[in-house]
Amino acid sequence: MNNNDFDLYKQFVKTTFKMRYKGSILGFFWVLLKPFFMFLILFMIFSRVSGSATGLTSQQYAVYLLSGLIVYTFFNEGMIWGMGSIMERAGLIVKINFKRAVVVASSLTMALINFSINLGIVISVALILNIHITFLGLVYILLICFTMFLALYGISFFTSIWLVHVRDLQHIMELVLQLLFYASAVFFPVEMIPEKFRFIVYYNPVARFIKAVREALIYGRITDIKFVLVALVTSIILVVIGSGYFNKHIKKIAEHF
Amino acid sequence: MEKNIAIKVENLTKKFRIPEHGSPNTIQERFVNPFSKKKMIDFTAVNNLSFEVKKGEFFSVIGPNGAGKSTLLKLISGIYVPTQGNILVDGKLVPFLELGVGFNPDLSARENVYLNGIILGLTKKEVDEHVDHIFDFAELKDFQDLSIKKFSSGMQVRLAFSIAIQVKSDILILDEVLAVGDGEFQKKCFAYFDEIVGKKTILFVSHGLASVKKYSDRVLWLKEDKTYEIGDPSEMVEKYSQTF
Repeated sequence: MNNNDFDLYKQFVKTTFKMRYKGSILGFFWVLLKPFFMFLILFMIFSRVSGSATGLTSQQYAVYLLSGLIVYTFFNEGMIWGMGSIMERAGLIVKINFKRAVVVASSLTMALINFSINLGIVISVALILNIHITFLGLVYILLICFTMFLALYGISFFTSIWLVHVRDLQHIMELVLQLLFYASAVFFPVEMIPEKFRFIVYYNPVARFIKAVREALIYGRITDIKFVLVALVTSIILVVIGSGYFNKHIKKIAEHF
Repeated sequence: MEKNIAIKVENLTKKFRIPEHGSPNTIQERFVNPFSKKKMIDFTAVNNLSFEVKKGEFFSVIGPNGAGKSTLLKLISGIYVPTQGNILVDGKLVPFLELGVGFNPDLSARENVYLNGIILGLTKKEVDEHVDHIFDFAELKDFQDLSIKKFSSGMQVRLAFSIAIQVKSDILILDEVLAVGDGEFQKKCFAYFDEIVGKKTILFVSHGLASVKKYSDRVLWLKEDKTYEIGDPSEMVEKYSQTF
């Protein structure tokens, strides 16, 4: 990556950031407000039921819910923005030859920025609610986030190209992600799912990431480390194969818009 | 490649596979018409074209709409990939297929200078150095913080042109961007062209036959039937003029 590519990347991030919240009175605060209201609604409805099923206090449930929400949101935004990145810059891509991968990277960076802010808030809330956060737990959470980021990056190399060829993918993805929200045990404990359906959570990487983050955040426990490491290696492989696929197919993309 | 050649195009062919009735990009369209694949047709935009542009040469491309001029420029710019043949480019090439690429109407003029400049290949530091000069040249010094959707189209083009000429390049690809702004600004643009003619290699596409004749060293005439001729500017322009 040369100087200009990096400047271009920064410029795209900056512009997207500015544009996303420009013209609204609360501007950037929407990043915080939207998940907050989502949290509020889910908390009011589910805190009693879900809390008692898991033996969590309502403070713990608040952190439990928040952490699930932000991890899911990170995945959701990463998938949607990563997939749409090439499409979104179609006007530019047909006019000038710049390093296309910059577009994918900058879109995912947006998701990462949002997530970092959200994570900061969740940690602050946890501290306020007297939840003891361990250093090791925090490192583990960061490792999980890094793994997820790589996975999103690898996936986006494929989906960003596919979307240009099959526009339906946009709607399909939204649907899948909506299903994933319920299948990831974001606002209810896994124990509430009937036993014969628990495999859905077991085979759902997002659910397992969420679970691991929660255990680390609330109890300082390092759980499911084998899965996280396998996911990390898989994600790295995905990025390598994905970037190969991307570089091969991106050359012709300008003809397909 | 020989030393004095800037662009070398060898047996270049570009075909597009296009469906007969628009592109089936959604599943619905594919579903409604599952045999759409059979209706794909090959459209040849550029056919077996070869030419060389020497370093420092002002090389113009003329021809009617649909002759393949824009496709050719996009191929040389690296936006399209050739179906057959080769394109060799020696030096940094900057395509101006359109002025103000990436301009965002909601951002201020200053922010757009950064965005557009970096998209065209400048580093942020270089834009920092040139930003004042850009606004001077564009005569838009007092409008730096205004969002450019409030600019007149003339103002936008002036700004875009002023950014474009700051990009250091050996080869410029210009697609009908000469006539910009009012009379006075046009003078400035032409003064700029007079300055760079002979120093930079210029590949120029235009319907403005007068400026083609005035500046060009050689002219490539792309015809509707995908044949072509290369020759002396006045001769080519003369011949081309007789076709309509």
